Amino acid sequence: MADTVNKTLDPHVNRRGFLKGCTMAAAALGLSESMVPKMVEAATSAQRPPVIWLHFQECTGCTETLLRGAHPDIAQLILDIISLDYHETIMAAAGYQAEQALHDSMEKNAGKYILVVEGGIPTALNGVYCKISGKTAMEMLEEVSSKAAAVIAYGTCATFGGVQAAKPNPTGAVGVDQLVHDKPIINISGCPPNPVNFLGTVLHYLTFQRLPAVDSLKRPKFAYGRRIHDHCERRAHFDEGRFVEQFGDEYHKLGYCLFKVGCKGPETFANCPVARFNEAGVWPVSVGHGCIGCTEPDFWDTMTPFYDRIPNVKIPGAGIVADADKIGTKVLGVTAAAVGIHAAVGIGKRLIKGKSDSDVG
Amino acid sequence: MAYEKKKCWSILLRLYHWAFALSIVTLCITGFYINSPWTNSMTEGSASWPMAYMRFVHFVAGYVFTAAVLTRIFLYLFGNKQERILEHLPVTPRNIKNLFSTILQYSYIQDSHDPDRLGHNILAGITYVITIAAAVFQLASGFYMLFPEIAIWEKYGVMIFGSQQMARYIHHLLMWWFMIFAFIHVYLVIWNDVKQPEGLISSIFTGVKFTHKA
Repeated sequence: MADTVNKTLDPHVNRRGFLKGCTMAAAALGLSESMVPKMVEAATSAQRPPVIWLHFQECTGCTETLLRGAHPDIAQLILDIISLDYHETIMAAAGYQAEQALHDSMEKNAGKYILVVEGGIPTALNGVYCKISGKTAMEMLEEVSSKAAAVIAYGTCATFGGVQAAKPNPTGAVGVDQLVHDKPIINISGCPPNPVNFLGTVLHYLTFQRLPAVDSLKRPKFAYGRRIHDHCERRAHFDEGRFVEQFGDEYHKLGYCLFKVGCKGPETFANCPVARFNEAGVWPVSVGHGCIGCTEPDFWDTMTPFYDRIPNVKIPGAGIVADADKIGTKVLGVTAAAVGIHAAVGIGKRLIKGKSDSDVG
Repeated sequence: MAYEKKKCWSILLRLYHWAFALSIVTLCITGFYINSPWTNSMTEGSASWPMAYMRFVHFVAGYVFTAAVLTRIFLYLFGNKQERILEHLPVTPRNIKNLFSTILQYSYIQDSHDPDRLGHNILAGITYVITIAAAVFQLASGFYMLFPEIAIWEKYGVMIFGSQQMARYIHHLLMWWFMIFAFIHVYLVIWNDVKQPEGLISSIFTGVKFTHKA
């Protein structure tokens, strides 16, 4: 029987908030209304999956987003549905006690716990760029993932390396799936990701006893299966050819499409326009800033300049970094000049030698 | 001096050529618009749909381009002697000799006469093969962007390009190859027609070239 009165969870989560959270997760997963009671049941059952949450090279923004929602329901729900045994940001323990908690949980729940990784893993010089309690991130990941049931890489750093993996990637940062090959991995990308997608993944796992379907980048399809552009509220302005020319202009005030000021919605997969953030119903495009493509691999390299459509062309050695079309125009100009010279040489030669093509009949 | 008519290009190759050429012109113009729309609908409710129409024309031209490229690949394998790929690449001593003589001819160093070669010279042949290879990448990136959620395109798109944005970037850079290629192609065709009157330009309409009667 579903515990809709909430006797088992944190008393701070009231019944209304709890059901609302479950419904949001069901909606994000694309499940029908009739699945909500099953989800509630799964969320309140005694079998709360133990979770170990590791932080590596990152800014903790993913955890911050989770904890600092406008309403605490989602964070509370996540923290209540799972049994969070180790989380460096929010645990009370420190030092020896913290290490002990990690060790105990790994032993007690071997093969059953879910490992959540937040942050990229530096691999250069054997991973010395990130060390916690004397162990490198690489060693910790290998050790903790070896006994995990599944790994959830949370945020773009853990999934694709993130900002520290931007060229030239001095610390050799990589995402989890470059190092862990023998466990099921779910990539919940984003900088930061929407907590609803984490809740949805965990509830999917609890309700159906398996991880959700993923795309070829291991991102759950329920959240990363559609392009932002195709669900954008400004899409009609795009098709109609109404664009913001620069930030703050008249068209910007009218809420036109942000395509020309570099919105990366057409090349980014995420449910931001649908799920939105912080339960306040906003997301970047709704408040007038283009998408920066933060859920995509290498977005620091491929989505920049953020306010242009495509990356600049870099010519190695020459130190040239320029707009593709400017370089293209120059190459075309040089070609035209070369063609002109070629034709002139031919005409000049003919003038000097006289009419040489005697076979012209 | 007497000339004789010789059948050079099949009807399929001529159709391919014009489908390819016209679709490239259309794709470049609409592609530039899609990348950087130069119009801005000032009046709301005007229902002019410029971006929607440009994209529609781009996709239709894209399918024409696809058909053209597939036809060319078919002709590389099963076309007549002038159309087959082995006649385009420096893979035989005869073709390697032609490559060097063509370079010397284009540099005004010596006149080239290759009486038993009716089709392309090897320099042109190599360029065409590279262009068709570029066209295949253009197709792959284009369909990956058009059908991002179809499993097979998603899988191969991620495998080849990594992300939608990289596909877009490569799609855009390759467009410049086609524009520069078209420019040089038109110049050299005219140049050849002036230097060596064999009816090169009309041959892509009629399929017939003229050679000296032996």
